Amino acid sequence: MVREAGTTKGSTAALMLAPAGFIFLFFFAVPFAVMAAMSVLTANPMVAPNAAFTLRHYERIAGDIFYFEVLWQTLRLGLLTTILSLLMGYPLAFLIARATSPTARTLLLMAVIAPMVMGLVVRTYAWLGMFSNRGVINGTLMSMGLITEPIPILGSEGAVVIALCHIYVPFMILTLTGVIARIDPRLEEAARGLGATRVKAFIEVTLPLSAPGILAGSLLVFALAISAYVTPIVIGGYEVLTLPMLIFQQVSATFNLGFAAALGVVLLIVALGLVWSYGRAMQRVTRGVV
Amino acid sequence: MRTAFLTLCGLVLAFLLLPVMIVLCFAVNPEPFLAFPPSGFSLRWFAKFFSSRDFMAAFWLSLWLGVATVFVAGTIGTMAALALARGRFRGRAALVQLFLSPIVLPTILTGFALFQLAMVAGTGRNAWILLAGHLVVATPYVLRTVLAVLANFDRSLEEAARGLGASPAAAFREVTLPLIRPGVIAGALFAFIVSFDQFPVSLFLVSPGQETLPIAMFNYLRFDFDGTIAAASCVSILLAITLVLGIERTIGLQEYAKL
Repeated sequence: MVREAGTTKGSTAALMLAPAGFIFLFFFAVPFAVMAAMSVLTANPMVAPNAAFTLRHYERIAGDIFYFEVLWQTLRLGLLTTILSLLMGYPLAFLIARATSPTARTLLLMAVIAPMVMGLVVRTYAWLGMFSNRGVINGTLMSMGLITEPIPILGSEGAVVIALCHIYVPFMILTLTGVIARIDPRLEEAARGLGATRVKAFIEVTLPLSAPGILAGSLLVFALAISAYVTPIVIGGYEVLTLPMLIFQQVSATFNLGFAAALGVVLLIVALGLVWSYGRAMQRVTRGVV
Repeated sequence: MRTAFLTLCGLVLAFLLLPVMIVLCFAVNPEPFLAFPPSGFSLRWFAKFFSSRDFMAAFWLSLWLGVATVFVAGTIGTMAALALARGRFRGRAALVQLFLSPIVLPTILTGFALFQLAMVAGTGRNAWILLAGHLVVATPYVLRTVLAVLANFDRSLEEAARGLGASPAAAFREVTLPLIRPGVIAGALFAFIVSFDQFPVSLFLVSPGQETLPIAMFNYLRFDFDGTIAAASCVSILLAITLVLGIERTIGLQEYAKL
């Protein structure tokens, strides 16, 4: 049988999709469905046949201001981390994208990727070493005689945001670099040739053209930051309480699966809302540019 | 203006790299707690790490998971990418979205949802559920890199091979596979990093007494601040540097960053 090379028959395609499809159905789609089901049931239906529909888990969340505070704290951490990552990541991404020497570009990329592959716990430990009472900052200030008592840095929201930003800024930089590198530098030169200053040319030409990268990088960093667990615990020392911490607490300490599932659904709704608004915003910027 | 811009970039670079130096510094500092400046030089924390049964067991479990994830996610991700890039069937775009969604959904939820399934189904937590969780979060990276390579793939090469009498299998083996190899390697490296450094998924799925390295390090970190963690970190960093150099040698960092 002769057929055009490069197209795949439906049956072959189905066969090739089957293994990944199997994994995603049973270990991704089904678990989320189970989580959603558990959030509205009184008990585990597999062991308790009289498990009934209930909204009490959601009523408990809606009835206590504490859960709103935790949700707000989680979103705040995500937002602050995203803004700081963008402010720090953009200049470096611009430098990498516009570097003329390939060696310089490779070295800069290495500096960005090395911390990224270093591991989450390792980087959190590094910031613990920076911020602790006898750590780098306090140790240096004390040995210089500027302070006599260590300044408490751990446990503050700012410390958590700085550590989270260090962990997630490489994702922002890599996303931005790819987008900025595709922008023709001649467009900026043309604007300057027409009399715009360097800053004005950047703001009017390059910045709007890099909007898709800014959006994609921000979505990635925000999604990663709101699901952070290690850093808020180690750097925030339970002073900064987030939704993922609360979910794990419900599972490990009180073993309240139904209530934990309801908290999970709340986080899922936030994440889905985010992805949806990202899609809308992306449509708008690409329509404006192209 | 230019000086200000370069200074800013320098500061960001210092911010990125300083913590790496800090870890190296604490790993050889003999003090039994986080103290700066260091009081001397010693390798005692490395000795403690390598002789710790808990850490070594965790290290081997993480390595096993990482390698298994590379092979399984690499295979099923590449197969799915080929089918999705070339198949002409309905619901293709939706399938791509589904397979990529673990990247943008909070990973902690992927782990938590699997945990719920294991509890409700009564299977409990075991190494296989853990591997399944790692596969779900690692496969999207393979799929994404291979799809990116296939998007620039010149199909006339395959047609030429077929025209010259090669069977579909031979054309695939001799032409397609070598051309998509960089994407597969990049995706596999991504998959390894995602698995080896996986925290949120493992958090919910490790069984007590059988922990992965990041979980073991985190548990240690909650009660002890000595240099053992720094030494473990150095081992991870060494692995990371090897990987980065490996990427640079095989496909080039610029390709890797583009994907």
